[in-house]
Amino acid sequence: MAELHIIGQIIGASGFPQNSLFCKWGVHTGGAWRLLSGLKEGQTQVDNPQTGDMAYWSHPIDLHYATKGLQGWPKIYLQVWHQDSFGRCQLYGYGYCHVPSSPGHHRISCVTWRPLGSWQEQLAQMFVGGGPQLRNPDLIYSGADRYRLHTETMGTVELELGIIMRHFDKYGVES
Amino acid sequence: METTSNSSVFLLTVNGQIEGANFPDYDNLYCKYCYVYGHDWAPTTGLEEGITQITSKSSQSHKLIWNFPLETTFKSTNPSGWPQLVVSVYGPDVFGNDVVRGYGATHIPFTPGQHIRTIPMFVPEPTWRLQKFTGWLLGRRPEYTDPKVVAHGEGREVTRVRSQGFVTISFHIMTKDMKRMGYDTGPTNSSTVQSATSSQSRDAQ
Repeated sequence: MAELHIIGQIIGASGFPQNSLFCKWGVHTGGAWRLLSGLKEGQTQVDNPQTGDMAYWSHPIDLHYATKGLQGWPKIYLQVWHQDSFGRCQLYGYGYCHVPSSPGHHRISCVTWRPLGSWQEQLAQMFVGGGPQLRNPDLIYSGADRYRLHTETMGTVELELGIIMRHFDKYGVES
Repeated sequence: METTSNSSVFLLTVNGQIEGANFPDYDNLYCKYCYVYGHDWAPTTGLEEGITQITSKSSQSHKLIWNFPLETTFKSTNPSGWPQLVVSVYGPDVFGNDVVRGYGATHIPFTPGQHIRTIPMFVPEPTWRLQKFTGWLLGRRPEYTDPKVVAHGEGREVTRVRSQGFVTISFHIMTKDMKRMGYDTGPTNSSTVQSATSSQSRDAQ
């Protein structure tokens, strides 16, 4: 069995309308993958930066997978939320990116989007916040049924992922 | 074809330094560091934790420089729980009390070669304004009972923090027997500058 280590951090996010942000993240894999150690989902702290635009989380990721096949390569999916000074949370974006498939250190910028409602909902969102959310979070990383959505662009999330691969060359995989 | 490996243990040697920090609002800072690692890891030589000197900004530069050496070797059977360096920065407030100015953590790089990391530093924030004011007045700010908590992912979802500075650390990494055990850690870094802040840095490979 080949093994994959994902060792890195969700560094932070920038480009969102407000700065007090946190992120719910998870890793989705296909059926041939088995998680040997590490947490495959979590939620970061809420950061309110003093200077600058970028909110920093420095949330560590340390996952160890064993796999029998290449299908269902791991994907990281993210939900960026905003928490205001009263403690209310509002969705600011969904995004996903594939875990890199070559060993070494990688710096990834993951783009995010938010579902757009009707013009009445957008007007209400401008005043009281809130807004439509996905009922099924699988849509963040799957392409099926995406054509029904109308979305708007939001900011980017920076990740630093280090990949260690073991025994992939024994099975003839080039990466 | 079977990979022959006489050893089931690999070594990671870290030679580096905590170069300095960038805190626009604070001065006279010192730094404490420690390593956090998983169950399969153990340090073989070198210090696991330490404290730097107190440094101040000079008239020529707004940078705070520590130039503090880090020399440690770890051994392990498994890359899970790869060591992280946890850094906490402290300094005096207006009344002379020693308060925390930031916590941060980064994984030790695993590709052999030179690496520079700029890690953001954040402090836990009190939830309401009155607590912020009394904290400022009495010098009793929220801090973590164990700084190692910033190296873990669990339990962070209830914390509110404010990021207010950066610490720069440079590493020179060597590993032994990782290839022999079948681990591929990617191309060796000849000279790469990787920063958590600049978005235009890219590998020069």
